[in-house]
Amino acid sequence: MTDRESEFETADLLSLAVPYALHALSDAEDEVVEARLAEAQSAVVNAFFDEVRAVRETMARVAILTAAEPPIQLRRRILAAVAGDNVRAITPDASSRRTGPRWRSAILTAAAVLVVGLGGLGIGVALRPAPEQPSKAQQVFAASDVRTTSGAIPVGGTATVVYSHHENAAVLVMNNVPPPKPGTVYQMWLVNPAGATSAGTMDAQAVAPSTTAVLPNLGDSTSLAFTVEPNSGSTKPTGHFIAELPIS
Amino acid sequence: MRLSGHTRRTAGNSVSATDLDVLLRRVARGDQEAFADFYDATRARVYGLVARVLRDPGYSEETTQEVYLQVWRSAGAYDPASGTPLAWLLTLAHRRAVDRVRSEQAVTQRESRYGATTVETAADQVSESVIISDERRQVAACVNGLTDLQRECINLAYYQGLTYAQVSERLSANLATVKSRMRDALKGLRNCLGVR
Repeated sequence: MTDRESEFETADLLSLAVPYALHALSDAEDEVVEARLAEAQSAVVNAFFDEVRAVRETMARVAILTAAEPPIQLRRRILAAVAGDNVRAITPDASSRRTGPRWRSAILTAAAVLVVGLGGLGIGVALRPAPEQPSKAQQVFAASDVRTTSGAIPVGGTATVVYSHHENAAVLVMNNVPPPKPGTVYQMWLVNPAGATSAGTMDAQAVAPSTTAVLPNLGDSTSLAFTVEPNSGSTKPTGHFIAELPIS
Repeated sequence: MRLSGHTRRTAGNSVSATDLDVLLRRVARGDQEAFADFYDATRARVYGLVARVLRDPGYSEETTQEVYLQVWRSAGAYDPASGTPLAWLLTLAHRRAVDRVRSEQAVTQRESRYGATTVETAADQVSESVIISDERRQVAACVNGLTDLQRECINLAYYQGLTYAQVSERLSANLATVKSRMRDALKGLRNCLGVR
């Protein structure tokens, strides 16, 4: 690529930061921008997300102009809806996409280590920068009963689960799974004979292009199942299992 | 009358980013009391923005409820390095409102006459319900400092949920012009408000 092409590509991508931050791109355009960001140099990615951040802070200040009290009964409805709700969005076990290629390579390295390094080599990969104590993920990797199971996700990509019942936790690695359709999330379920309990949800941001997450509280679960759920997830599966990995 | 019988106190209040940050950390641990406090500190901004985009009280309540359910479920995903809690929250609220308005757009277009009436009513309600404050005056002055064309672009894209390509069609302006108007508008607002 010539310098001029490189410069053009940089300028063009950055000029989309404002419409991207204002949600003024179509879903298809959002995907193109995100694909380009995935390939862009970290300086460009950082400049892009600096602008996105500034736009969002600015519009958060402007929101005082549209502030309006909601109907009072909405408070009761919302507090009732969250009481006892145990659905949790998966927090990717690394810093956000802002760091671009650096972040991705850390995750891909972690995933590769899982595949090649599970022979009791004492995995030293740090999923978080310089943890003070061994992370839960490291404890799972180091557990005497550590096992791994892997399967294709029908919508694309693969899920790998590294789990230890002794540590009562699993590490889930999702690779190349396409983002869920707008307005839906992927939801993971820990399944035992008594039923399915939410193990977390993944939205488009959490899933692309690869993610690692710790799932605690395996209990007596015998499998990890995946569904597609509306909005931010469901308390019980409403769709069929699109994939199910044994973890017993 | 939907505004009677409860406080408007929080509409103009500024809650510090640190307070909201602390509340969000507690919400991430499943603390319902912290969640209620977080709701009270932010509900007017969230509902007001959602209602401005959706212009329908029923949709706005549903979407606001979805937004706060998402806050409850994903508070642990909030990363202070990516911005203030209020910006995180309002980004989430705006995304859901825009998704909803786009999915309802066909209906709205069929009922455009009715829709236009609803817009005016909603705008009146919004201005009535807001406490006048110094912060509000400062922000209003910054918005008024934009050119008409810049304000129109922000209005169509941010508050009506159009994509910038749809904005360019609506205004019969080319894409590059619309992009640079949006960018100049945000640059102007950002400088005026002193957002770093």
